[in-house]
Amino acid sequence: MKITNDAGDILAVVPLKSVQASSRLGAMRRRLDFPDGSSFDTADNDGVDALLGRYSLLHRLEKSWRTVVVSVIVAALAAIGFALYGVPVTAALLARHTPPSVAVYTTEQTLQAMDKIALKPSKTPDAVQKHYRDLFAAVAATAPRGATGYHLLFRDAPVIGPNAFALPDGTVVMTDQMIPFVKKDEEIEGVFAHELSHVDRAHGLQRIYQASLVPAAIAFITGDASQIGQFAAILPGILLQSAYSREFEHQADDDAAKQLRRMGASPAPLADLLERLEKKLCGRKQGCGPNWLGSHPATTERAAWLRAH
Amino acid sequence: MDTAIDAAPQAPAVRHQMRFEGSGGEYFKIWIVNLALSIITLGIFSAWAKVRSKRYFYGNTYIGAHSFDYHGDPRRILLGRMIAVGLLLGYSATIHFLPVMTFVWVIFFLFATPWLLNASLRFNARNSSYRNVRFNFTGTYGGAFTAYVLWPILAAITLFTTYPLARRARDQYNINNHQFGGKQFHAEIPGWPIYQIYLLALLLSLGGVVVIVLIFAGSAVAGMNIKSIDPKQPATMLPLIAIISVSYVFTLLILLTFVGTKVFNLALNHTVLADRYRFESSLSPLRMIWLVISNMVLTLVTLGLFYPWAATRMARYHRSQIAVTGPNEMDGFVSEAALSQGAVGEEIASFFDVDIGL
Repeated sequence: MKITNDAGDILAVVPLKSVQASSRLGAMRRRLDFPDGSSFDTADNDGVDALLGRYSLLHRLEKSWRTVVVSVIVAALAAIGFALYGVPVTAALLARHTPPSVAVYTTEQTLQAMDKIALKPSKTPDAVQKHYRDLFAAVAATAPRGATGYHLLFRDAPVIGPNAFALPDGTVVMTDQMIPFVKKDEEIEGVFAHELSHVDRAHGLQRIYQASLVPAAIAFITGDASQIGQFAAILPGILLQSAYSREFEHQADDDAAKQLRRMGASPAPLADLLERLEKKLCGRKQGCGPNWLGSHPATTERAAWLRAH
Repeated sequence: MDTAIDAAPQAPAVRHQMRFEGSGGEYFKIWIVNLALSIITLGIFSAWAKVRSKRYFYGNTYIGAHSFDYHGDPRRILLGRMIAVGLLLGYSATIHFLPVMTFVWVIFFLFATPWLLNASLRFNARNSSYRNVRFNFTGTYGGAFTAYVLWPILAAITLFTTYPLARRARDQYNINNHQFGGKQFHAEIPGWPIYQIYLLALLLSLGGVVVIVLIFAGSAVAGMNIKSIDPKQPATMLPLIAIISVSYVFTLLILLTFVGTKVFNLALNHTVLADRYRFESSLSPLRMIWLVISNMVLTLVTLGLFYPWAATRMARYHRSQIAVTGPNEMDGFVSEAALSQGAVGEEIASFFDVDIGL
């Protein structure tokens, strides 16, 4: 390679192989590094390519609108696939391979924390507790882990209100505030069947795994650990998590309906109870706010579905 | 050399403006193609994609007729990412199930952070160049430990009253250990102005609380029935929770940007290179807050597709507010810096230089 100035004087002659050129990127100036440490830069990108006889494949991909369109589609499909299958499948796989001792430990930790923050010892009389324990045992006997695989705890929860929730090791907590709402035993049997499904499907553990997978994935895809990236990831993360949670509720309702049928009961009383709770919690008129934000599907929809099965 | 003639002791100072010449449309194509390649290769290519992005931003940042350059080796970045992912997985797997381990991790990070930060800063500096002269970072473990661990601990002990000083220690550590060729950067950040910035931020956050209260008063007038909010009916609390969390995110974003911008200006305005070149930064906090928030909203609304425009838009404004003032004979200075850089180039491939990407 000969380097000349405008007047045609030869400034240097170097073997072409020893010239290092920066790779082509956008309309950026190219730099040629010579073996003696000096360098030369130019905006004539095509000229440099022709001189070296090397054309960057990556640059050609970045320049073509066709690859750009394909790339947008690939990115969109990857994001959808990840949200629909990647996260749920990975979380379910991890939850299935989590040793039972971990579930016990997680339950202890969660219960301890909740006892400190929101729960108080139950004020429900022993006779009433005994009644519900018997109902619970009857439902548990027909569930996959059998009568000894689950146990029921009572807690006073003025802040949380009427509720029942499942913990990973098979513990189901029922709040004292729930009891005045229950008009028939069949109703609470439906609640128990629903919660036992959460236990059997390890929904609690899956939720923990989903919570770590979603932000990690968003950070990876955007390749941005900056403030804007982190803040921008909050909202999609929340929406995705509530969508997964609603799916879990559907599964639990489905399992509960099947189990109640096996016991010769009907899921309709569970629907009655859900509607009664909704009226108390959300007021008669306004309902419970937008469905796409909630962790549970709309009650009217759930009740209608339960009655139909 | 013709500059020798007018190289009097008081050579007239010339202001060299920094500028960014990249465009959102051009970067979009580069970004999306590299993103797709990263997805197809299950993340392996992301290290190459990062180098391409960094090269685009460095190569389009100019002082005078010359741009900066980035030379990072993607394989080192990949190694750094693997280390980071490994640590993250180990950390999140253990703390969820064994909270006792949190303590062990805190101790580990306390002692590993200075090392990781130095490795990252060194990697970045040594792979950055201007007019063929590389930058360098010479921070020591002790220096990083003092700036990043001891100062924050002291700040916590003093109930954060010394936090501005901790921030100053950190910025001075970063700047004072950077070199251009063999030429030293030096920053002496004054204490009182940095306190003023944090006090102003404190006032701003109080203002934020007032604004949130006003929003409530306003929405009550506008017909939202506040009486319908009943703590005993959790669902009626939803709009309240939504307003509070959105205001919280925005207030935090505004405060972080405000403090970040003001401190950046202050630090750069007190930075000198080789006792000859002074730096200037005149970023407007309001303009930065507007850029950060509008970029975030547009990126969210477009499901991420706006990101390349957000990044170039930010770079264009940011660079346009930075200038270097000093003697006009930049050519002479650059070759002087190149000659004094010594053996830096040979050490570049040092094994422990990895980009952790913190």
